[in-house]
Amino acid sequence: MGKFKEIFTNKRIIILIIFLVLSIILIGPSLSEGVAIRSVEKNSSASQALPHAMASPDPNLKPMNREVIQSINGIPVKTVEEYYTQINTLTENQTITIKTNKQNYFLTTKTGNLTEAQDIGINVYPRPTNNIKKGLDLEGGTRVLLQPQEEASQEDLELTVANIKQRLNVFGLSDITVRITNDLFGTNYISVEIPGVNEQEVKQLLAQQGKFEAKIGNETVFKGGNKDILYVCRTAECSGITPGSCGITNVGEYSCGFRFSISLSQEAAQKQASVTKDLAVVPSGFGQSYLSENLTLHLDDEQVDELRIGADLKGNPVTDISISGSGVGVNQKEATSASLQSMKQLQTILVTGSLPVKLEIVKTDTISPALGEGFIQNAILVGLLSILIVIIIVSVRYQEWKISIPMSITMLSEVIIILGFASLIGWRMDMVAIAAIIIAIGSGVDDQIVIADETLGKTKKDVENYSWKQKLARAFFIVMASYLTLVVAMIPLWFAGAGLLKGFALTTIAGVTIGVFVTRPAYATILEILVENKN
Amino acid sequence: MKRNERRRRHEQKVQEVQVEHSEPRQTHSSESRSIYYRDYKKLLIIPMLMLIIALVLIGVKLATTGEFINKGISLKGGTSITALGDNLDSKLIETQLKSEYSSIEINVRTLENSGQNVGIFIESDILPEDNLTSNAFIESVQKITGIPRDNLSIETIGQTLGDAFFKQTLVAILIAFIFMGGVVYLYFRTIVPSAAVILAAFSNIVVTIAVLNIFEIKVGTAGIAALLMLIGYSVDTDIVLSTRVLKRKEGTVYQRVLGAMKTGFTMNITTLGAVIIALFIAESAVLQEIMLIILIGLLVDMVNTWIQNAGIIRWYMEKKGDM
Repeated sequence: MGKFKEIFTNKRIIILIIFLVLSIILIGPSLSEGVAIRSVEKNSSASQALPHAMASPDPNLKPMNREVIQSINGIPVKTVEEYYTQINTLTENQTITIKTNKQNYFLTTKTGNLTEAQDIGINVYPRPTNNIKKGLDLEGGTRVLLQPQEEASQEDLELTVANIKQRLNVFGLSDITVRITNDLFGTNYISVEIPGVNEQEVKQLLAQQGKFEAKIGNETVFKGGNKDILYVCRTAECSGITPGSCGITNVGEYSCGFRFSISLSQEAAQKQASVTKDLAVVPSGFGQSYLSENLTLHLDDEQVDELRIGADLKGNPVTDISISGSGVGVNQKEATSASLQSMKQLQTILVTGSLPVKLEIVKTDTISPALGEGFIQNAILVGLLSILIVIIIVSVRYQEWKISIPMSITMLSEVIIILGFASLIGWRMDMVAIAAIIIAIGSGVDDQIVIADETLGKTKKDVENYSWKQKLARAFFIVMASYLTLVVAMIPLWFAGAGLLKGFALTTIAGVTIGVFVTRPAYATILEILVENKN
Repeated sequence: MKRNERRRRHEQKVQEVQVEHSEPRQTHSSESRSIYYRDYKKLLIIPMLMLIIALVLIGVKLATTGEFINKGISLKGGTSITALGDNLDSKLIETQLKSEYSSIEINVRTLENSGQNVGIFIESDILPEDNLTSNAFIESVQKITGIPRDNLSIETIGQTLGDAFFKQTLVAILIAFIFMGGVVYLYFRTIVPSAAVILAAFSNIVVTIAVLNIFEIKVGTAGIAALLMLIGYSVDTDIVLSTRVLKRKEGTVYQRVLGAMKTGFTMNITTLGAVIIALFIAESAVLQEIMLIILIGLLVDMVNTWIQNAGIIRWYMEKKGDM
C-alpha cells in the first residue's frame, strides 16, 4: 500500500483532488424533483400572493438556487406536466397554497373566464439537476443579435441594454441576458438571450426603437417614457379589449380593438391644453362634438392610431387619457390575442420609453426545447463514447494498466474540472462548448502520450542517461509548445463573430490550461510513482 | 528486505515495459530497404503535389464562383430550420419546398443518429431582411412537415452580419496563423525547422479547404472555429517531431524520426478514434461540422507531418552534417 500512500500525499495530486472536489461542489449535482420558477408575470395572481409577492428569479442566481415549487394544495408537483395538470383544475376566485423550497404562498385565482383564472402567472421549467447553465441551443429559447444602425457611444449602448432589459421585464420576462458584444473590427452588437421562450413577439419588441409620440396636427403633445407618462394602466380594470369592438373588416379579416388608460404629467397635460384651445369644434351626427384635429399616435414615425378628441377637452389640461389600437386575425380568437399582444407591446414601450439608438435585428435563433433536450443526451453520449474509444486505444497501445488507467482518470478529471469552471463563472454550455471540451480532452490525451513516451518509452540506456526530472522537463517542453500554439490560435476567435464563438475559445483555453497546470502534472506524478524506479 | 526485493522485481518489470516501448531499432539493411528511409526527398513530391493541386482547385473555384469556400448560411446570411421527427423524408420535402420557392437555393438533409433518421435540417438563402418570404417559408415548412412552429428550431442571419462574420474569420485565421508561427519560431529559434512546421500548418488548412470544396461541404462559423482549432492541433505532432530531431541526441536522425512517429501516431489515432465516433453519433449539425473538418484536417496532417515535415527536417539535418 506504500505507493497509494505516496500518491495521495503528493502535492500535485492533492492539488488535483482539491480541484476535483471544488468542481463537484460547484456543479452541485442533485437528483431531487420539482419544477423551478422561471418567471412570474406582472399583475398575475402569483405577483399578488401572500405573505408577499412571488417574484421572478434573479438571472444571475445559480441554477440550483432557483426557487422550486414542491406542491400545490398539498399535492406534490414533480414534473412540468404535473404542474400544468394541477393548474388546469383550478377554478375562479379559488385560494390555493403553493409550497416552494423557500416558503408557503397563498394565492387567489382571478375571476373572469376559466382560462384566465387558471393562469396564475407562473412560468415553470424542470428543476435543474446541477449548476451547469445550459446554452440556448441545449435548453431551447430565443437569441437575438441587434446591431445599432448609427454610431453609438458606450453610454448609449449601456442605456439601450438597460432599456431592453426593462422592456423585457415589463413584458413579463426576467430570466434574460442582455449584453454588449463586439467583434474584431470594433463593431458593437447587443445580444439578447431568452431561455425557454419561443415568442415571435419578443423580437419585435427588441427591434422597435419605440419612439412613441402623440401629436395633434403637427404638434407633439407627449412622448413615451416616464417624463410625460406617469402611469400606464395594465390591470383589467382600465385596460383590455374594448367591449363590442370586434368585427369583420371589409377584407374579410376579424379585427378587435383594445384600450388602456394612461396618466400624463402636468407638463404634458398643459401642452395638450395649449394645443387644443385653438382648435375649432366640429359637431358630429350623433349629438357629440369633436375638435377639428385628431390626436394621432406615432410609433417609430409611423402612425399607429388616430383618436377623435371630445369637444369638452378643448383647452382642458386633462391628465387621464385613454389610448387605443387594434389587432387583426383570421378569426375572433386570433384577433383578440393579436390585439392584446399589440396592447402589451405598446404599454411596454410607453413605460420604458424609446431606445437611445435605432437597432436592427441581424440574427435570430429560436431553438425548440425538445431539440435541445435531445442534443444534451446525444452530446453526453458523444463525450462518453469518445473517452471510451480513447481509453481502448491507449490500453491496446501500451498494454500496461499503470499507464492507461491514470490516463483515463486524468481525462475524466479534466471533464469534471472544466464543467466546474463553467459553473463557477456561470458560463452557458452550448454545443460548440461541448465540441471544445471534446477537443481539449483530445489534446490532453496527446500530452499524456507525450509524457508517457518521453519518460518511459526509451531504451534502457536512455533511461539511465537522464534523471526523471530531466525526462519530465523534456516532456513538458513539448506539452507547453502544443499548449501555447493552441491558445494563440484560439485568441482571435475570442474577439471574432460578435462573441458567438467566445464560448468555444474560452472553453478550449480553460480546458487546456487546467490540463497543463493541474491534471497533466498530476498524471506525470502518478506515472512516476507507479512506474519509475526512484533509486 | 521484503521491500527491496519488491522494488527489484518492480525494476525488472519496468525495464521490460521500457524495452517493449523502445524505439524500433531496425538493422541497417532493413532501413536501407525502406522507401521512407532512402527516398525521403522524392517522397516530398507527394505533399507538394497535394498542396499545389489544392491551391489550383481553390484558385479555379475562386475564379469561377468568386468564393474560395462553400459558405454556410452563418457566413453569408440565410435561414436554417431544424425539425425533429423520425418520418420526415428529406428528399420529398426538398422537392416540395423547391417547387414552391423555385428561385431560392434550398438544401434539406437528414439528421441521423447511429444510422437512424431523427429529423431534417433545412438550409435556404432566404434572408431575414426579406420578412415576407422569410415568414412564408417558415409557414410552408410547418405545413409540409406538420410540425408546429414552437417545435421548429429556426436560425436566421442577415447578409451584412454574415459578410462581417466571414471577413472576420479570415482575419482570425490569419492572426492565429501569425501567432502560431511566432510561438513555433520562439521555440525552435531556427528558420528551416520553424518554417517547415508553419508550412505544414498552412498546407493542412489549404488542402482541408480543397477537400471540403470537392465534397461540396458547406462551412459555417463553427467550421471556421474547427479550422482554427486545426492550426493549433495539427502542429502538436510537428512539435513532437521537431523537438525529438532537433533537441535530442540519442540515436540517428532517422531513429529519432521513427521514435517521434510512434508517439505521433498514437496521438493521431486516439484523436481520429474520438473524432470518428463523435462524427458518427452526433446529431447536432454544429458538432458534425466541427468533427468532419478536424477529421479531414488530421488525415491531411499525417501526410504533411510524417512525409513533408519529416523530409524537410531530415534534409536540414543532413546539410548540417548530423545523420
